[in-house]
Amino acid sequence: MTATLPTGSLDGPLDAPPGARVDVPPPLRLGRLRLYARRFARNRSAVVGVIIFVLLVAYSVLGGLFTPWDWSRQDFLALTQPPSGSHWFGTNQGGNDIYAQSVHGLQRSLVIALSVSVLTIVIAAVVGAGAAYLGGRVERWALALIHFLLVVPSFLILALVSNRVSGDWRVLIPLLTVFGWMFTARVIWSVSTSLRERDYVLLAEFMGVSRWRIVLRHIIPHLGALLIVNFTLGIVSTVLAETSLSFLGFGVKTPDVSLGSLLADGSGTITSAPWLFAFPAGLLVLLTVSVTLIGDGLRDALDPTSMVGGRA
Amino acid sequence: MVRYVARKAIGWLAMIIVATNATFFLASWFLDPRSNYRELRPVRTEDQIAHALAPYGLSPRWSVVHRWWYWLSGVVLHFDWGHSPTGVPVNSEIPRRALVSGQLILLGVVASVVIGVALGVYTASRQYSLADRATQTLSVVLFNVPTVVSALGLVLAAVWLNQRVGTTVLHVAGANTAGVDGTWATILDRANHLILPTVNLTLLGYVGWHLTQRSLLLDALGADFVRTARATGLTRTQAIRRHALRASLIPTATSVAFTIPAVFTGAIITETVFGWEGMGRYFTETIAKNDVDGVVAVAAFGAVATAVGAILSDVATVVLDPRVRVS
Repeated sequence: MTATLPTGSLDGPLDAPPGARVDVPPPLRLGRLRLYARRFARNRSAVVGVIIFVLLVAYSVLGGLFTPWDWSRQDFLALTQPPSGSHWFGTNQGGNDIYAQSVHGLQRSLVIALSVSVLTIVIAAVVGAGAAYLGGRVERWALALIHFLLVVPSFLILALVSNRVSGDWRVLIPLLTVFGWMFTARVIWSVSTSLRERDYVLLAEFMGVSRWRIVLRHIIPHLGALLIVNFTLGIVSTVLAETSLSFLGFGVKTPDVSLGSLLADGSGTITSAPWLFAFPAGLLVLLTVSVTLIGDGLRDALDPTSMVGGRA
Repeated sequence: MVRYVARKAIGWLAMIIVATNATFFLASWFLDPRSNYRELRPVRTEDQIAHALAPYGLSPRWSVVHRWWYWLSGVVLHFDWGHSPTGVPVNSEIPRRALVSGQLILLGVVASVVIGVALGVYTASRQYSLADRATQTLSVVLFNVPTVVSALGLVLAAVWLNQRVGTTVLHVAGANTAGVDGTWATILDRANHLILPTVNLTLLGYVGWHLTQRSLLLDALGADFVRTARATGLTRTQAIRRHALRASLIPTATSVAFTIPAVFTGAIITETVFGWEGMGRYFTETIAKNDVDGVVAVAAFGAVATAVGAILSDVATVVLDPRVRVS
């Protein structure tokens, strides 16, 4: 790895005699985002993660254009056919095209995962940082709520409720959000408690900035790196939770499909029709691995003390 | 120590009671036992359905509180956990299933922790070596493989192996083979059935322990007290084993409890894939069949498993951490 940035002191050599002209290389100034991008781009596996993720998103959005088959249409002349020219990923017992179903299922899983992760990170940041800064009764109640939600059988409640609403994927978003924010909130809370006494927070207090404004404008921005990394982790855990629920028959249900319900379809015929399992499973693993690689890259790029991203 | 454990146990008992009763109300709210009779032919009237459900304390004519009181008095007075809407006693299902799931979860947790912590310690003391990088990559990939995919992948692999060898080397379905007699044959048969589900739970469980134990031990290796230990003349291995390792095990021990719910969730899927009649299967079946009492029993089992894990990790913390004094 070659770092090309000049790392000398920006003011020029101190031991130069006064008045002497010294050729000082112009200081290289990068905007913060440019700097993060450079650090991120040096991490090869993270770049691979971004490429895979972008391809997956493109596949889920545009993949349907390349096939004449619709995810819900049945081809009764091709039941349980292995991958072929007309059905690229094969067909299932009902004659559904697995390529088209994978496009649709990936779309469902992605939309659910992204929206749940955005919501959970916002809730976790506000509750975690708010509890740490405001302290007192707010903190006690917030922590009690977090601990309570951590020990309730959340998977059971998720299954109960999503079973009742009979497979409407939109209901999964608020459900997975309600049971997904606590752990991140606890991490953010424990990091924020050390920010409470920082000089810049005290200064803002002396300047008369309101308490919630301090939380939103001074404490939460300071946690940016942590929030972004936890956002990517949230995507992975949401995808896993949604897949598990749908696999067991509680989350997304027929006639709708998600990657989890596709896996459930394929699990019964895993030896006789392995393509029903292989394609959704491959997409799922690519999705979670790519997001994790991106998360690792972001962590190293955003963390000023990390040396993995190279110098500067 | 005994008093400390007893105090913790009482706290967890209260938590179990609250969680179980809350689940009863949730389940009564979201599950409708009548639907088991609505699909029957000839068509039942609402009166007939209510009449059929009444002996099991599930009558829709009763208020939720009334049904709850019936259920609670059954549990407290006779340890009777109720009936399914079709009249199967929950008590006849639980002991067998709890045993099946209990051994799966216990083996899974123990194997995950032992393998993960051992790998973490091994790789942390050889940071950036080939072994470290290889296991790290493997763990990151495994961390992202959903339970469903790994379980089905194991099934595929085992089926392939069995076909290659020509006999059933590894069983892929059920907890035991019907018609196996004799003590040793039964034990061997059951052990064989246990292999794949346990491997599945371990594959997914060990990763977290590996990665956290590695970073914890790396932090501890850089700490002043380890340098002091080296300065007193200990070798690097001794310093790691006696000082760094012990300090870095404390956070690991405290977090065992919080992984039990995740292991139980993993066990639900593992049991579904491998066809085990345990609590996990019971979980999906009871929800699908609107079996309120069964769902509550599953919730109670999950809460008990979490509590046992939490108490064990508290004991481990006390043993490991000299700063925690209980007497």
